[in-house]
Amino acid sequence: MPEGDMAVAQGSSNNSSDFVRKLYKMLEDPNYSEVVRWGDGGDSFVVLENEKFTKTILPKHFKHSNFASFVRQLNKYDFHKVRQSEENGQSPYGKEAWEFKHPAFRADAKNNLDNIRRKAPAPRKNQAAEDQFSSNTQIAALSETLAATQQQVQALQDSYFEMAHANKVFVDEIMHLQKMIKAQNSVNNELVNHLGKIDHERRHARATSNHSNQFNGNNIMSDGTEEPPAELRRARDILNSVSGDHIPEKDLRQMSIQFQQIGASPDSASSSSMMGPPGSAGMQNNYMHDPMNDLRHMALTPLPPSIWGIFPYNRPLSQNAMGPGQGPGAVPEPGPAAMPTASPPVGAPGAQSTSPWGQKKPRVLLVEDDKICSRIGSKFLAQYDCGVEVARDGLEAVNKINSNPSWFDLIFMDIVMPHLDGVSATAMIREVSPRVPIIAMTSNINQQDLEMYFHWGMRDVLAKPFTKEGMIGKLKKHLPNFLRVPPTEAMEQMYSNGGAGQPPTPGPYPNPNLSLPMSAASSGPIGKFETTPVQSPSTSTSWHSPAQLPHASPNMGQDQGGYLTAGSGGPMAMTPGGTQRPQQYASGMIPAMSGQQMGHLPNDAPPEKRQRLYGPGPQGPYA
Amino acid sequence: MSSDNHDGGDSNLPDLGDAIDIVTFSQILEMDDSEDDREFSQSIVFGFFEQAEETFEKMDEALEGKNLDELSKLGHFLKGSSATLGLTKVKDSCEKIQRYGKKENEDGTPETDEELCLSRVTETMKSLRTEYSEAETTLRKFFNTPAA
Repeated sequence: MPEGDMAVAQGSSNNSSDFVRKLYKMLEDPNYSEVVRWGDGGDSFVVLENEKFTKTILPKHFKHSNFASFVRQLNKYDFHKVRQSEENGQSPYGKEAWEFKHPAFRADAKNNLDNIRRKAPAPRKNQAAEDQFSSNTQIAALSETLAATQQQVQALQDSYFEMAHANKVFVDEIMHLQKMIKAQNSVNNELVNHLGKIDHERRHARATSNHSNQFNGNNIMSDGTEEPPAELRRARDILNSVSGDHIPEKDLRQMSIQFQQIGASPDSASSSSMMGPPGSAGMQNNYMHDPMNDLRHMALTPLPPSIWGIFPYNRPLSQNAMGPGQGPGAVPEPGPAAMPTASPPVGAPGAQSTSPWGQKKPRVLLVEDDKICSRIGSKFLAQYDCGVEVARDGLEAVNKINSNPSWFDLIFMDIVMPHLDGVSATAMIREVSPRVPIIAMTSNINQQDLEMYFHWGMRDVLAKPFTKEGMIGKLKKHLPNFLRVPPTEAMEQMYSNGGAGQPPTPGPYPNPNLSLPMSAASSGPIGKFETTPVQSPSTSTSWHSPAQLPHASPNMGQDQGGYLTAGSGGPMAMTPGGTQRPQQYASGMIPAMSGQQMGHLPNDAPPEKRQRLYGPGPQGPYA
Repeated sequence: MSSDNHDGGDSNLPDLGDAIDIVTFSQILEMDDSEDDREFSQSIVFGFFEQAEETFEKMDEALEGKNLDELSKLGHFLKGSSATLGLTKVKDSCEKIQRYGKKENEDGTPETDEELCLSRVTETMKSLRTEYSEAETTLRKFFNTPAA
């Protein structure tokens, strides 16, 4: 075996001079003197610019671009890195320079090259016999290789960070584009609705003129003329299907959060994705889904509204009681028994003997760093039959939400907390959970603070020190669809997909209410139809009436949540560059949107009340 | 004094003096399962005692280190819990400390003189201690004397 080993070593030594020759040849090229050259004494060579050397010279002369393996090979030929630091303190060639030396490798001794041979691989059995010196050199060789490898890793890391940064920029850009697309979708949506409305009004006008004396609207309703034109329906379907696609978007958002957490540079691009208009996603969802669904109801469940006009106002009835089954039958309708979720006759507060909640108790997250306050708060909530969890600071809250964004139905959020304050936590939560009502708990309630809270996605404020009534008031206000006995205007919530349900404020009710019933009844709008933005002429006129608009913004800022805060005046200026445009979009749309939203609030009222009153008439005290 | 003692649903509401807002405090009492065994309210109040003592210690340290910022935070912290319990005077003093620590005057206007702020905090802490121990005495008496 020793012979064999020798033979191998011998054989390789022939090749080996090849490497040394290449090395020598490379050093002869004056073009490289900036990068690699002979040392000043001519008895060593210096790699001055590691990176250039690796990228340009190595591939040319050695057919690879791996500095570490170059160093390894040098070591095999018994070259050694010259350590300058011990004597001179600093390499004369610069900090980054690598100087290698071999006793026989000299600029003036080309003939000596053959004496530089590859070291024979040490046979294992001899290893033990190796003396101290050779193992020392080996260690030195290894550490040189290691240093070279480290340098390589460093280079890789740098390029990794560059790419990560580029990626982040892309993600932010994509999210920005998405927001714009959503905004455009909403605009389209508005247009479709508007067209639908005009179309409907036109038909309506025809219908009323033809049948102005006909109280029974059945014919008009059920013969299909109320179906919106096919083009509009198709447009809606398309809009609908597009909006359903937000899975990749969620991933993107998560990516951007991750980037945020990696902490990198606090540049505006990232902060814009982070701090974008809170609830913008929620806004889109609302817009894409709810009106659409409602519109479909409109088309599919015609009701004879004319009869409602006859019965006096007497009791509340939940919205689905007005389902399709109800329509055609005129006066002798089956009673509440036929209405699965109908509320108990005559909204009675006394009925709350057991739990105030319906089928599902709300789950509330209480974020509060003070033990006393959080214990009292959670006791209040628990006594009101809510599921309560406590987070001791913003970070904990964000983690809880991240691990299950839809678990909580409402969040009470302290503002001043260690680790992460309530406003930042809210902004982060809004990234994954745009719709859950978040209520600030704070004693700082000047106008400026409030604007900031709302701007970052909070829906409401509970003044500290909080009281039980205050807390429960907020629960009822923001979770009306959880209540066992829905508040009078709760019908609306049947359509909002949980969580986001905001109680329409009762305030605006009365006026349109008074003016509407007659015209609505005689012109015969459709039951569900009236809860949608596309409405009977009477309702549509009312939401164009200027008197409503001033109401709108304050109400909505508080009660309509996400999309409203996004659009509500002042805060926009605060947003960093990236989000500006979508916001402007949103604000541009606000007049229209708020008009429609208003449609939800006050304009729902009349039909709703009519339903409540007249629909079940026969079962009421009148029966 | 006793004029504060209006119903609140608890006929045994004690006279807790003007250091404690009975309406606020009775909310906590209402959370008790039984009036004979005030387990919840008592644990809350005793928890507050602990918290207050700890905070006072930290305030002393911060005062020694002339750390106004920390003083402001501590003031804010104790303000929240004392307000929730209805310890009005304690709360007011905490609020003052919070303000002085923020280098503000009592009315919220900025105050540049740090030494002045520190001496104001020192003064306020004295009255805070007095108010606190008053409230503590009252509350301990209340919980040691079974409502009957």
